[in-house]
Amino acid sequence: MPDTTASGAGIALENLSKLYPGNPTPAVDNVSMDIKPGETVILVGPSGCGKSTTLKMINRLIEPTSGRIMIGDEDVTGIDPVRLRRKVGYAIQSSGLFPHMTVAQNIALVPKMIGWPKARVSSRVEEMLDLVGLDPREFHGRYPRQLSGGQQQRVGVARALAADPPVLLMDEPFGAVDPITRDHLQDELIRLQHELRKTIVFVTHDFDEAIKLGDRIAVLRERSHIAQFDTPEAILTNPADDFVSGFVGAGAALKRLNLTRVRDVGVVDFPTASMDDPLQSIFDLLRSGATNEILLLDRHRRPYKWLRRGDLMRAKGSLARAGTLVHDTVTRDATLRDALEAVLTDNAGRVAVTGRRGEYIGVVDMETLMNNVHELLEEDRLDAVEHRHALEEQRARQTRLAQEGVDPAGGAHGVKA
Amino acid sequence: MSFWEYVGNRHAQLLTDTFQHASAVFQCMVLATVLGVLLGVATYRSEWAGNLATATTATILTVPSLALIGLLVPIVGLGVAPTVIALTLYGLLPVVRNAVVGLRGVDPALIDAAKGIGMSRTARLVRVELPLAWPPILTGIRVSTQMLMGIAAIAAYASGPGLGNEIFRGISSLGSANALNQVLSGTLGIVVLALLFDAAYIVLGRLTISRGIRA
Amino acid sequence: MSPRDRRRPPKGERPPGEHEVRGVTFRDEAAAGERGPVLAAEPAPAAPAASVTRPPRRITWKKAVTLPAVLAAVLLATWLWFRGARLDSIAHQAVDDGKVWLALRQHLQLTAVSTFFVLIIAIPLGIALTRARLRRAAPFAVAVANLGQAVPALGLLVLLVIWLGIGAEAAVIGMVLYAVLPVLANTVAGLKAIDPTLTEAARGIGMSAPGVLAKVELPLAVPLILAGVRNALVLNVGTATLATFGGGGGLGDLISAGIITQRMPVLVLGSVLTVVLALLVDWLASLVELLLRPRGLEVGES
Repeated sequence: MPDTTASGAGIALENLSKLYPGNPTPAVDNVSMDIKPGETVILVGPSGCGKSTTLKMINRLIEPTSGRIMIGDEDVTGIDPVRLRRKVGYAIQSSGLFPHMTVAQNIALVPKMIGWPKARVSSRVEEMLDLVGLDPREFHGRYPRQLSGGQQQRVGVARALAADPPVLLMDEPFGAVDPITRDHLQDELIRLQHELRKTIVFVTHDFDEAIKLGDRIAVLRERSHIAQFDTPEAILTNPADDFVSGFVGAGAALKRLNLTRVRDVGVVDFPTASMDDPLQSIFDLLRSGATNEILLLDRHRRPYKWLRRGDLMRAKGSLARAGTLVHDTVTRDATLRDALEAVLTDNAGRVAVTGRRGEYIGVVDMETLMNNVHELLEEDRLDAVEHRHALEEQRARQTRLAQEGVDPAGGAHGVKA
Repeated sequence: MSFWEYVGNRHAQLLTDTFQHASAVFQCMVLATVLGVLLGVATYRSEWAGNLATATTATILTVPSLALIGLLVPIVGLGVAPTVIALTLYGLLPVVRNAVVGLRGVDPALIDAAKGIGMSRTARLVRVELPLAWPPILTGIRVSTQMLMGIAAIAAYASGPGLGNEIFRGISSLGSANALNQVLSGTLGIVVLALLFDAAYIVLGRLTISRGIRA
Repeated sequence: MSPRDRRRPPKGERPPGEHEVRGVTFRDEAAAGERGPVLAAEPAPAAPAASVTRPPRRITWKKAVTLPAVLAAVLLATWLWFRGARLDSIAHQAVDDGKVWLALRQHLQLTAVSTFFVLIIAIPLGIALTRARLRRAAPFAVAVANLGQAVPALGLLVLLVIWLGIGAEAAVIGMVLYAVLPVLANTVAGLKAIDPTLTEAARGIGMSAPGVLAKVELPLAVPLILAGVRNALVLNVGTATLATFGGGGGLGDLISAGIITQRMPVLVLGSVLTVVLALLVDWLASLVELLLRPRGLEVGES
């Protein structure tokens, strides 16, 4: 469960610019941004907008031409970059795992470099593997090429987090995996962040990913100019300008479903029976229960079949043939959109919610979903009115500042509704 | 005298020659590897310097070995010195070229990752780039060694050590009964040595190339 | 260094670096003694894919002049030094009566004749080994070719001399045997590396088998075949120096005379001539390589 104390450190970018020699226009132009401890901030924008460059300036893989970077209370613009990077986790697209090292060696790299004792390093490796959902015994000695893309990416995240850095930078980490795996990895990251409360800066060009993962989203346009820096809700319901609304794309109401998780709506209990239960007791349950349907669980308490009253009769008492198989389940971290999708595909009017190992927790039904969506949209509408007001004020202040000759760019958009 | 009788009679001499041949090639190869990898490491980052290193060593390799030895003799005299210098110089090219190609071929995303997790430049080179470039470098060493086996035979003409002496003894007694035996024993000895070295390199590859990148 | 190297391997397929590893292995196994595509004086082809900024791959003025100029200077310096050196009667005996010219002529003849035979043996054989009927024999042939590289040229040559008798013939046969291997390996590799979709497409538009070979496969394999030829030429110039040990003549005569009689001027003259000849031949071959390479293949071919 989420603890409110963040282990992350705040990041402040102050007027960062990057000018490449021989190029008159800067790649990144005067970016300022305040990132709070424990916050997940997504940099999103079209390709070539400088979002990766901005990210890489935070761990100074790219040295800023001008400006200042603060992590926590420390000005890191001038410190030894190697020392800086050991405090900042870094995960990239296609995992960046070293192919000649085993999974364990990859994860152990940073802790070893900063001089942890051997025993602590090896226990940390096991801990990290466990954290990203890979069985330490199985994956410890494997080489990256023996892993699937999704598993490599998990190890990449484990390596980035191994030395327990307060800050984690992620550069399109899920860009190279297939959509289904990406979805799982995103869920995992949400779960991890729930436990760890790092400060995460995450670069993506996928707005849906941004909505799903971000506490706040910075929509960037060319040269890394911040078009809007706000919560996903605010951006969806109240895009600052045409650029942002163009980027948000169609179906904002549907995307809104991505913002709420199953854990936030009512997960209710449902009558269940186990495959191993005697047939008679299942019969009784069906006949006496308040609903005319029960969920059949397998030996590991994973949802297996929806069983309606009468199904057993039609199948002549054979559990193996009766009922409809459960096709899709969701976890508590899944978005309402996933849940709705599952409800629609499973055709049972509800979807089973499962825990980490796929065990049954409860169900969410269509009605709950509809009610929630309705409430959310209503809330948003109210927020939007307030927000528009705030924005107008904000713009007025900007104009005033601009007239007075002060640079209005940067964190100015960060005011929340 | 049949070939096997000859080998039986002269086994002491043959063994000494074989050992000296192997030892000369091995030592020069170690030298060439160290120099070649150092050259590769020093030059691969720069397009210009890397190409210059490759081109220079390629030019050396174009020079016929007998001519190079001929040019070395007036400078360093006969014997071991011209042999060692010539063998080392010839051994350089494949190592340098493959080191440059191998080091340049390391996926930039991995370099980025290595930097990103806080590896210093030396750590990056030693722990990431060289291990990843090692398979092509080892191939270069294999190719070099095979070549040096033959060149070492020619170096015997400048009084160098090794099985080449056996061949040149045969040349100087052309027409005599033993000429064939001498040349054949020298030639076969070199073939056997070359194959043994090759096998050793395969074993070395097994031992030193991480399972994660082995083909 | 180039966009090619910056390419990322597809996810989960092979570890980075392995591609390059294979490439290098292949080239080196195929052409163990390969001289590399470059001379010091011609840096342009040494940058295989400097993509946009790369100069057109034709003979530049600089390339055409630098190496010959350097070699001419070396020859001049050697000649001046040789004239100034004091030669005793033994040394005179080794170089007088046009012996130097004779050796040079013999050397060129040996090289030319053996290269000619290498080409007419290795290229058709390479083509045959990549035809459907013989394709299964190709790996075997390449393995034999690679194994053959383990035989020292000197030993091979002298064994042939013992078998066939003293003279240029034995030398030529030895040189041919020795140089056939790399050219054969390169031809096979060049033909095998052709994208099968191209040959399929050629057959699909109704080309006959010889048509596909002549119009598609051979032109595409030209760069690698030419590299093999150049390689054979350079190898042959080198191996021709060993002909002296079998009475085959050539510049090796001067070198061996110099070593045996301990006459340094003779030794240096012979060596310098050999070196200059080898570099000149390699330079000429590199020019021919550039001229004959199909223009469409220039980018991305190294």
